[in-house]
Amino acid sequence: MPENVSEPIPTEEAAAAPAPPASDATDGYQVRLGIFEGPLDLLLFLIRKKKIDIHDIPIAAITRDYLGYLDRKEQINLDREAEFLFIAALLIYIKSQMLLPRETDLAEQEDPRRVLINRLLEFQKIKAACSILRDKEEDQLLQWKRNFLPPLPGESELDFTEVSLFDLAESFFLMMKRRAAADTRIIKSRDVSTEEKMKELFGLLRDGQVLDFLAYFATQESLEEALVSFFCLLELIKSRQAVAVQDELFQTIRVWIRKDARRAGHHE
Amino acid sequence: MSSSPLKDILESLIFISQEPLTVDRMAAVLEGTPGEEIQAALDELIQGYASAGRGIQIVHTGGGYIFSTHPDHDRWVRKLLQIERKNKLSSASLESLSAIAYHQPVTQAEISAIRGVDSTYTLKTLLDKKLIKIVGRKKAPGNPLVYRTSERFLQYFGLNSLDELPSEDEIGKILQEEKSSEG
Repeated sequence: MPENVSEPIPTEEAAAAPAPPASDATDGYQVRLGIFEGPLDLLLFLIRKKKIDIHDIPIAAITRDYLGYLDRKEQINLDREAEFLFIAALLIYIKSQMLLPRETDLAEQEDPRRVLINRLLEFQKIKAACSILRDKEEDQLLQWKRNFLPPLPGESELDFTEVSLFDLAESFFLMMKRRAAADTRIIKSRDVSTEEKMKELFGLLRDGQVLDFLAYFATQESLEEALVSFFCLLELIKSRQAVAVQDELFQTIRVWIRKDARRAGHHE
Repeated sequence: MSSSPLKDILESLIFISQEPLTVDRMAAVLEGTPGEEIQAALDELIQGYASAGRGIQIVHTGGGYIFSTHPDHDRWVRKLLQIERKNKLSSASLESLSAIAYHQPVTQAEISAIRGVDSTYTLKTLLDKKLIKIVGRKKAPGNPLVYRTSERFLQYFGLNSLDELPSEDEIGKILQEEKSSEG
């Protein structure tokens, strides 16, 4: 199983999550790109660090610094890299515009930097609003209201969020797609009956095993067999003999049998 | 009207409400009672909770009134609920939310442009958390979805309306502080 199977889309969320917010890191000189939410964040940081007037940015100097930071980046996540490079390209474009000889002096409005400045000013405002909202969030999180109340934790087996059939199906199709891409050879075909599969699956679960949804299907030999297993699993969940649980988004789904179903011994 | 003082009736109504109870709803229940009278009784009620050293309070949020626990007791409440750490919004989520709040109604592409970062996934998270909602499609190429902040957004930050979002002045002050702290 490819290790990133549980996270289908590389996200800015995931990339930024472990890093502290940019404001915490501004005192240190060594800054990794990971702490910046995006290219505008980095640009604002550089502008502040050099105490540059945002309305009169020395494009050449700031571009040099900016590219310097890109080079220092340790890990490359292509999605985010593109966003950082886009702004780098914009900076270079602006510089080239400024170098072009002109017959008449540029009016303020025609300053090639205008677009970038407006974007930065707007972004800066949003960031400032964020810091105010963050304080409000912290205040609010101290005041518990009943409408945000999670159920009181108990000892039942239902401590987790049960996943919906759609979540299951989504994981299943995602995996099938990967399999289809990875393995195109078909060597043998074997009939798989629902009954047999059901017995096998129930047997596995009855031994008290917790089944890793993705890992289990990775062991299936053919698409057909996997499909049959999937239907059996859905059936078990529908008849409330098994529980499917996902601890967190993008984590694998675990399946186990309900206590009362195990006690009953048989699923017929 | 029964002989119970208005204040006590309001207390019951707010107590039983899962979502912030608006003055309009209270007025609808208490037929014929003028809004000013309700507001006065409400203020008295809130004051009573605020001054008496209580474990709960009535807060004005999301355009209505709702009971909440006292902020000082957070530690014990979390222990009861077995919540070790609080789920704050990620910086990406907060940034997108803030961009939406100030620019709504707004499309995914517009939010991404403001942030300089693709925001598709972040929007999905915010939708899941019901902090934003889809209000339609824009009449533009591709008919992109248009987003707005939700009622829950206001409540989440303890706001009563979008007018209570950080103002230009407040934002200016923050920017000034940031500047001077570096100077």
